[in-house]
Amino acid sequence: MLEADRITTYYGNACALREVSFEVNEGEIVSIIGANGAGKSTLMKSIMGVVKPRTGAIRYKGKEILHFPTHKIVGEGIVYVPEGRDVFAPMSVQDNLEMGAYSRPFSKSQTEELCEEMYQMFPRLKERRKQTAGTLSGGEQQMLAIARGLMSKPEIIMFDEPSLGLAPIVVDEVFERIKYINQELKISVVLVEQNAYMALTISDRSYVMENGRIAKHGASQELLHDDSIKTAYLGM
Amino acid sequence: MQNVLFQLIVSGTAMGFVYALVAVEYTLIWNACGLLNFSHEKIIMLGGYMFVGTCITMFGMSNLLSALLAILLLGVFGILIAVVIFIPLRNQSRLIAVVATVMLGQILNEAAVLVWGPVALMPKNFLSGVFQIMGATIAKSYVYIIMISIFIIIALQFVFKRTKFGKAMTCVSIHKTAASLMGINVKASMVITLMISFMICAVIGIITAPIFTVKQQMATMIALKGFCAGVIGGFGSLPAAIAGGLILGIVENLAGLVLPAVFKDAVAFTLMILFMMFSPKGLIGVKQEMDRKRQLRTGEV
Repeated sequence: MLEADRITTYYGNACALREVSFEVNEGEIVSIIGANGAGKSTLMKSIMGVVKPRTGAIRYKGKEILHFPTHKIVGEGIVYVPEGRDVFAPMSVQDNLEMGAYSRPFSKSQTEELCEEMYQMFPRLKERRKQTAGTLSGGEQQMLAIARGLMSKPEIIMFDEPSLGLAPIVVDEVFERIKYINQELKISVVLVEQNAYMALTISDRSYVMENGRIAKHGASQELLHDDSIKTAYLGM
Repeated sequence: MQNVLFQLIVSGTAMGFVYALVAVEYTLIWNACGLLNFSHEKIIMLGGYMFVGTCITMFGMSNLLSALLAILLLGVFGILIAVVIFIPLRNQSRLIAVVATVMLGQILNEAAVLVWGPVALMPKNFLSGVFQIMGATIAKSYVYIIMISIFIIIALQFVFKRTKFGKAMTCVSIHKTAASLMGINVKASMVITLMISFMICAVIGIITAPIFTVKQQMATMIALKGFCAGVIGGFGSLPAAIAGGLILGIVENLAGLVLPAVFKDAVAFTLMILFMMFSPKGLIGVKQEMDRKRQLRTGEV
């Protein structure tokens, strides 16, 4: 469904991605693991058009989207929940959700309905709907960022480090929701994680990134039992 | 004495609203593009010239129609400047954009002499006359300035708080990448912001035309004081800009009661320097400090 074909991305003169190929099929959870600075977020940003790859191709449902501006890529049905959540802090929770649906021509009542769905999935957000997003806890902000991403009814949703800086119990809740989004809402999920064990357990397929390259990829179950991965990422 | 006081407060409020509008006009661009529009003084002037010089004198249109057409023309000019200057230069070094807008101001300044001549223009029968209220004589233009400014501020509030597009513009000012990840077209939002900002400039040029007459330097002082208003209120915030403008306008006018009139401008700039020294974040900083102290106090109890 989404396919990056040998993309190479630079920040100035520094090469952040070298000929990275990456693929997401309908209905799967794909995880990308790797150390800090391996290029995981750069790969996401290259797909979203936030940074532009120098060479390579990105296709979505057979359509070349490499040269699309970010807002058009969102319009195509790909949503990225960025690292550090980036909620609109001075705006209310409700307004944040409504902005998530900006790319869709939903009517007021449709938007309202969608917000209700989100509040059902994340009841804590409903209690705080009038509060400004900046006053939420880290976990609540992550929930808001996820809900905001879902508001545009995407076909693929990409999460960048959703567990970053959260308490273990909240991390479990976040992964629970990600599974729900994949299984019940039938949305393909890309999961970028430093928490390799969590990522490998929850996903169907995984990519391991090192120094801007894909070092390994395959079924998550197999990678979970791969010796080199065990020592490098799982600390076993 | 009371009458004089009342007169000073009304005219101070009117000028305060003018400063507030100036602060709003450049804060909008600052929030959307991260750049200051150093040509705003000349954009205001251009609004005045379009209104009196072009629409009234050359086209022979009525005052109201001329005002509307001038605002519309400046809006179109805003779109053009967004596409030619602000969008291409927004990711360059700040200095380049600063020089570009300063030069734009210079070009407009010289063009104004070539097109409309060096003599100051004055709209006829526009916001003229006086009201007699409570024994005080109030120029009608001040009352109109207050009414028009309040209308613009309310309209802007409505756009930014209630409409989907206005909220999207707020998102752009908070976080550009996050906004584009919501599917918001950041460039289009910048274009619209420039358009709105230039239209506000036109309004300022039109409503101050009867006070300052339309000439090259008509907006020099209000552009500077609008900047003071932003610093006093707190840079980047629209409500703070409005509060800063009003305070500045009223304080400098009341200072006329105790100080010779020539010190009026000095009062405004002294106030700005005091704020920069003791509360660089302006009134917002003062409020934050008070909130923090209150929290500390309640925390101790």
